[in-house]
Amino acid sequence: MTGVFDRAAGEVAGQKKILPGKPRIAVGLATCGIAVGGEKVYERLQEIIKKTGVDISLAKTGCIGYCREEPLVNITIPGKPLVILHKVTEEDAEGIVEAVKKGTVPYKKALCRVPSWDHVTGTVITYGNGFDEIPLYADIPFFKHQKKVILRNAGFINPEDIDEYLAVGGYAAAEQALTRMDSETIISEVEKSGLRGRGGAGFPTGMKWRITRDAPGAAKYIICNADEGDPGAYMNRNEMESDPHMLIEGMIIGAYAIGAKEGLIYIRAEYPLAIRRLVHAIGEARALGLLGKDIIGAGFDFDIRIATGAGAFVCGESTALVASIEGRTGRPHPRPPRLTDPGGGLWGIPSDLNNVETWCNIPVIIRNGSGWYAKIGAEKNAGTKVFSLVGKVDRVGLVEVPLGTSLNTIVCDIGNGGAQGKKVKAVQTGGPSGGCIPVRLFDTPVNYESLNAVGSIMGSGGIVVMDEDTDMVDIARYFINFATGESCGKCVPCREGLRHTLILLNRLIARKGTAKDLETLALLADTIKNTSLCGLGQSAPNPVLTTLAYFREEYDALVKP
Amino acid sequence: MEEKTLEEIIARYDSPTGKVLGILGDIQRSEGYIPRETLEMLSVKIDVRISQLYSIVTFYSFFSLKPVGEHVITICMGTACHVRGAVGVLDALESLLDIHGDTTEDGKFSVTTKDNKFTVEIARCFGACSMAPVLQIDGTLYGYANPDTLPAILEQYGWRAA
Amino acid sequence: MTQGKTGTELAEPPKKPVTVSINGNAYRADEGECLLTVAERVKIPIPHFCFEQSLEPYGACRLCMVGVVHHGKTVMETACTLRAKEGLTVLTDTPDIVKYRTILFELYLAEAPKSAVVKEMAARYGVTKTRFLRRVDTGDPLGGACILCGLCVRVCNEIMGAGAINFINRGPYTVVNTPFTEPSRDCYGCGACAAVCPTHAVSLEDRGGERILHSWSETKVPLSQCVSCGKYFAPAALEKSVLSRIEPPLRDDLEGLCPACRAKKLAKKEILAATGGDPGDA
Repeated sequence: MTGVFDRAAGEVAGQKKILPGKPRIAVGLATCGIAVGGEKVYERLQEIIKKTGVDISLAKTGCIGYCREEPLVNITIPGKPLVILHKVTEEDAEGIVEAVKKGTVPYKKALCRVPSWDHVTGTVITYGNGFDEIPLYADIPFFKHQKKVILRNAGFINPEDIDEYLAVGGYAAAEQALTRMDSETIISEVEKSGLRGRGGAGFPTGMKWRITRDAPGAAKYIICNADEGDPGAYMNRNEMESDPHMLIEGMIIGAYAIGAKEGLIYIRAEYPLAIRRLVHAIGEARALGLLGKDIIGAGFDFDIRIATGAGAFVCGESTALVASIEGRTGRPHPRPPRLTDPGGGLWGIPSDLNNVETWCNIPVIIRNGSGWYAKIGAEKNAGTKVFSLVGKVDRVGLVEVPLGTSLNTIVCDIGNGGAQGKKVKAVQTGGPSGGCIPVRLFDTPVNYESLNAVGSIMGSGGIVVMDEDTDMVDIARYFINFATGESCGKCVPCREGLRHTLILLNRLIARKGTAKDLETLALLADTIKNTSLCGLGQSAPNPVLTTLAYFREEYDALVKP
Repeated sequence: MEEKTLEEIIARYDSPTGKVLGILGDIQRSEGYIPRETLEMLSVKIDVRISQLYSIVTFYSFFSLKPVGEHVITICMGTACHVRGAVGVLDALESLLDIHGDTTEDGKFSVTTKDNKFTVEIARCFGACSMAPVLQIDGTLYGYANPDTLPAILEQYGWRAA
Repeated sequence: MTQGKTGTELAEPPKKPVTVSINGNAYRADEGECLLTVAERVKIPIPHFCFEQSLEPYGACRLCMVGVVHHGKTVMETACTLRAKEGLTVLTDTPDIVKYRTILFELYLAEAPKSAVVKEMAARYGVTKTRFLRRVDTGDPLGGACILCGLCVRVCNEIMGAGAINFINRGPYTVVNTPFTEPSRDCYGCGACAAVCPTHAVSLEDRGGERILHSWSETKVPLSQCVSCGKYFAPAALEKSVLSRIEPPLRDDLEGLCPACRAKKLAKKEILAATGGDPGDA
């Protein structure tokens, strides 16, 4: 039904779904949950519930981020805490339904209980008390050190139902922005919050909005970069799969502040579920008058379109991304013109490009205020950041912490160190553009500047853990091989330089290299970093440069004396 | 691809924004590759030079000009998968399927078995890093892959040990 | 009288003269002028491959990097994308630039080992050998001389509007050729690609009534034969495209004639017009 947006009605409807007054079983169904059998668990539960005619509400949720423990299932029994079950299989389904019928949960499968959950934007859902033998959410080491702001709804609400988003304070920020704030107030709030681009470069978001808004011409575009290309990073995938409306809400507010009538989500083709959920969510938002003409009755028109990528890491670079959307190969061009400049954006129109997670930060900033937001995190690094903690770490998953949290806290306290008791040796942050940071530098706070200082970058948030068995020269080769294959081929340092870096690394690993080759390797890496046309080439040598700096002995051991 | 099907695909795109890659992506998904005749037909219908379309198709790794086998197996070569043994999974797969893959002259990795039953490709990351190493068969993801679990997975797709 | 834009208002505003400093010497330039053009005018050598006046700066060859001095710091930028403004201070041969330029030349020497132009240019900057593995491809239609500067692709697409060739693949696998590496149906045979190629890598040949573009999958285009002297003089498609831009009376005079016969015909016509003869018989 199209009409004037009625937030309160949706909120009530959504709360009835989250707390239906009868038991609710919700299965975590993001890509990772599905891949380890979540869908089968869901189907089996559906079958049993139908067969036995028991009055249980069955729902889908996104992912809470504890990927190691998947599939995860939430049980809500009226008056009782929400209980998260872990490593649930099809075979467990019958037992779950049996227990729920009796007003309890299968204790053996219980990971933790959640008596109440703060959805941060003003809504606290109170589930209830009881099941005291089950550990509290806040006592689980994986969760204890985290602060959920961006992932506040992930794993709790059904991402395919806008009512559940409305029930936890969703679209209140958009309503507030469009009906009670003007462009200047919004941009100034975003500026004061200190939010910086979560795609990795850390450019102040509010400033980018201001530049785009003030660029000549009435027409503006806003673009969401959902081309999450770093291998080993999947925060954005989960953000879109678990809470797509948060992204859409952020974009509505940004469009209104910048004066854009059209928004675009550029998403990689490798994320079919995220695309499906976004398409569905955009449809829901249109039906409620949150997208389209005269949004929330505020006289503002805006809509979102989805464009899919086709497998090119370089398309995360802004000018290549635009080329790709315009139907060309993703070969970057020299900047200026920048995207925000006339002639530089999509179809030549000044465009604001922000990462998925940047957009996701907007609703909470508007709702809770820039002052509230700026207090989270560290100096010049406000807010939280979601990281994908993967590789050879014990507790694999998505981790959200305030910026400035040390690598130690992330890898050792949250991740519990190496998998199978192995010793952690290093982490790689920032994907192929980042560097390897040795364990002796793990007191480094994770913020934009500190990571740069140790030769790496924040990037989009991938943290890949390496243990004592990991060969660091092989890791350098892995990344160079990746970057070589993803180079667009336009400029010579990247196209030819990376190819020769790979040849040199292969020669070293084959133990045919000389000390002179090592010297050439370092000089070549330095040249590529300083002379490449775009960010891909400029950052591609980082894995070589950091492993040379921190693990030189592993290179030396390969060189013939 | 039938001309009518192509026209239906083109009709899905009412704006030039994201159109060319969108159409090519739909063709790739529908056919498993991009047939030459379809590309040439598309060039005429949307008035984009064939040289440009060919340039795009060979640039983006998602597109393939070669027909694929009945089932497409894609091995993830993301960082998490790499450190947790994806190369070993690929080696095992090559030996099970009796294929020998290498990056071809266009820089893409795609090998099809002699009986045309399986095509093996590599992907840069599915974003399912928590279950590394990961592989995908016809769109279904399999996590925690290792050389020992491969045969059982392949058997579901009609593979039998020689 | 209504106020309207006059001709002078529509014309480009006069260029503001500015002073830029290159290697410590001051030079006059127009504000916004490309720094590489300024340097070329005042005969300061900056090496480059991918720059062409008539096209937008492309920034691919990376050879024209110069050091821009700003607040005591030197930042490297490509001269082709730098615009002249008052006080712009650049250095063309800082130790960093020399170091990086050497490696870039070595990369070019390895990529295009058969190119005399590359060898010559590199030698001018003191680089005579490469420590990198040379590419060997005996079947390369560009004879091991292509450095992928992209000028041929850009001139074919952006200026000629033919779109016969383009980049194929990406990264180190990138090549330039026709789609499916088969003879092109879109090629005019104009030869602009060969004319702009800085390393003379594009090979074409006029043989009989045909122009054969060896580098572009042996694409063959017919040549027009002069109706007067019988000589083959230009690719037929190119002649047609040029003639379509000329108004009919003159077009009818020029159609089918080679440049030499055109000159003769026009001269004769002028004489006849002056003497009152019948131009129809010209």
